[in-house]
Amino acid sequence: MLKVLTDRKERSITTGQRLCKKFPSPSEMTFKSFIFGLLASFGLPWLAMVVFPFSKMRALEPVKFEEGDRKGQAYSPMRDGRVNEGSKIYGQEGCYHCHTQLIRPTYAGPDVHRDEWAGLRLTADNPDTRRETVPTDYDGEDVAHIGLGRVGPDLSNLGRRLDHYLKGRDLTPETWLYLHLYSPRTNPGYVENDQEIHSHSTCPSKSGLFREVPEILAGGQALPLYTPDRMAVVPTDRARALVSYLASLKKDTLGAPLPKAYNLNPTAPTKE
Amino acid sequence: MAETTSNADSPDVDLRVAIDRSLRHPVMFFFSSGAVWLALSIVLGLIASAKKHAPDFLSGFSFLDAGKVDAAHMSTLTYGWGAQAAFGMLIWLMARLSRKECTASGIILVAGHIWNAAVAYGVLCIMGSGSLGPWFESSGIAGMEFPGGLWVVLLVSFIMISIWSLVQFQVRDAGHVYVSQWYLLAAMLWLPWIMVTAWLFVFVFDGSPLMATGIASWFKGTVFALFFLPVALASAYYLAPKVTGRPVWSYNIALFGFWSLAVVGPWVGMQKLAGAPIPQFLPAAGAAAMVMILIPALSVGVNILRTVQGHGKAVALSPSMRFTACGIVLFVGYGFLSFALNNNIGLKVSQFSYAGYGLDILGLYGVFSLCAFGAIYFIVPRITRREWLSRRLIRWHFFLSLYGLASIVICAVVGGVFQGQGTEDLTQPFLTGARRAAAYGWGITLAWGFLLLANLFFCLHLLLMWARLGRRSSHPTLLDKHHVESPHGPEGEVDNYGAATV
Repeated sequence: MLKVLTDRKERSITTGQRLCKKFPSPSEMTFKSFIFGLLASFGLPWLAMVVFPFSKMRALEPVKFEEGDRKGQAYSPMRDGRVNEGSKIYGQEGCYHCHTQLIRPTYAGPDVHRDEWAGLRLTADNPDTRRETVPTDYDGEDVAHIGLGRVGPDLSNLGRRLDHYLKGRDLTPETWLYLHLYSPRTNPGYVENDQEIHSHSTCPSKSGLFREVPEILAGGQALPLYTPDRMAVVPTDRARALVSYLASLKKDTLGAPLPKAYNLNPTAPTKE
Repeated sequence: MAETTSNADSPDVDLRVAIDRSLRHPVMFFFSSGAVWLALSIVLGLIASAKKHAPDFLSGFSFLDAGKVDAAHMSTLTYGWGAQAAFGMLIWLMARLSRKECTASGIILVAGHIWNAAVAYGVLCIMGSGSLGPWFESSGIAGMEFPGGLWVVLLVSFIMISIWSLVQFQVRDAGHVYVSQWYLLAAMLWLPWIMVTAWLFVFVFDGSPLMATGIASWFKGTVFALFFLPVALASAYYLAPKVTGRPVWSYNIALFGFWSLAVVGPWVGMQKLAGAPIPQFLPAAGAAAMVMILIPALSVGVNILRTVQGHGKAVALSPSMRFTACGIVLFVGYGFLSFALNNNIGLKVSQFSYAGYGLDILGLYGVFSLCAFGAIYFIVPRITRREWLSRRLIRWHFFLSLYGLASIVICAVVGGVFQGQGTEDLTQPFLTGARRAAAYGWGITLAWGFLLLANLFFCLHLLLMWARLGRRSSHPTLLDKHHVESPHGPEGEVDNYGAATV
């Protein structure tokens, strides 16, 4: 018994010594231990921040309906428009510097309660469709334009907002968007509570996405405005793809049922 | 002076002069082309900032559209100026510390040209998307705007530039490994790993669009924390003992500072995605790491400042040490600001406001660039064997830089906090809150003007040195009217070694 204990004691000393050899005191840090330290200190976060989350997010379990007609079926979001192409142009034009596309959960920010950013509020005409962003919202895009800043409003539900504001007016969301991109501070406002609200936009003009041509060459595509020298304004194909994408930003899936897990409808905030 | 002359005969000086001569062309190329990119980047920064509060400024030029200028500004600042200044510092410091001449300056110079061409092409892609045709399209990914394939070119040319430093380190004569060398070695190994990872996971593998955004954000964060910071700190750990003539204050704190950065650095970046539908752990870890950057910042700050303590005069007189000490003080400031802006409360107001931009600029222009200026003021006279022409230009560069930088950071952070609070406040309309920052936006634009002026002085001065029009003198240019004993020690006086034109 005594022999075993001494043995163990001896062994523990040698283990300690071996460890000391492996992790030498600072002044004798060898190249090998240095590289080992770098591999360990970088490798762990590399796996945890990049590799594992990447493979997890690539193969997300589809969310299934728990009730209703489609019970048990997987939810797949539908978007129409030139989503992939438009998303690319959105990125190339750098829209993400001033606009976000993210409705954060309330622990991270009050986005759900801000205006109609997260969807429509409950009115006589429509149900409350507000919810937080979910992973499938970016389906069809190569990169999720979360955004770097909010100099302008969040665009997660831009298409839905425009549908709502322009209801009953002689202006499609697409035309409104063309006008806004071409000349952000002169385009028509939208109507809320029977009042036309003019956009006090600080958005720079994207006139590079349009061509100015004599009216006779414009065909049916000219915007309902003229330049000061009576030229017609025609959107380029880039503008068309971008506008198609912007109009498709309807992340509240109005009308389509949503699985319970994604129905993150908030309770009304106390202060509004 | 007598001491200097006798020193000149020693093999040590022989070796230093040989090393400096072997690296003259690549290092000067990196510094001077970097300075030109910096001037361009500042012009773009000024335009980008102006467009945020005066949206009609320069409208009508589609290549100067707001979003494109923003992206071009950050890309030129990071890859045009920052990376090239870092390359120059890296190869020179490693050669000097390993005491080995560079035998591949031709290859490094070629790789440097490739790097420049690649950055120029990338900037053309950013600004020419949609107007220059299908060969010029940026990726449109925040933080990695250059087109996907270009990152491979940048990576290869970085390896061609830095591999020789790794070789120099490996074949050095056995002896002490300096603190600066840990940082340089680590930076040389981290950057390729980060670049390969980001390129594969963002551009090659087909994954979730959210992870593409997240990994690009991680890329931007880690390139600063694990490449630009280490190179700047390596230079500070080299210059502080050199100028004051005494060893680094505490070896153990240096060790702790290095490993705390190595442990904290790789986690930063994804805090920009707080609240996005990715595993919550990612932005939380990113924010925690940004908060903990304070630990390496304090340890390096204390260590460097204790090293130069009591040598106030040397710090004030030597342009290199003045810039470097300022950069290190700002690193401590960066640590505190990062702590304030990335904790639970701070992140809500900094995530989508100007404040985050303020922190980025404080890091890249404050900490890194001031240390790089310090290194350039030290290295260039040694490799050109000419002294700086004018102490007035240096002084103007210093004060305008500091003043402009302080204005940008203060305006961005204060304005950003107001903007962040305003946009989070549901009792007022969004645009009212967002517009709170507009006045501060004017401040930022003005401050970029100061920095532009500062860098025109710097660029002019550097290009004159590049043209070998520096002073031929044995006295280094110090920021003092009366000549005193050189704080650089006898080593500053390389011209005593012989004819400089050899």
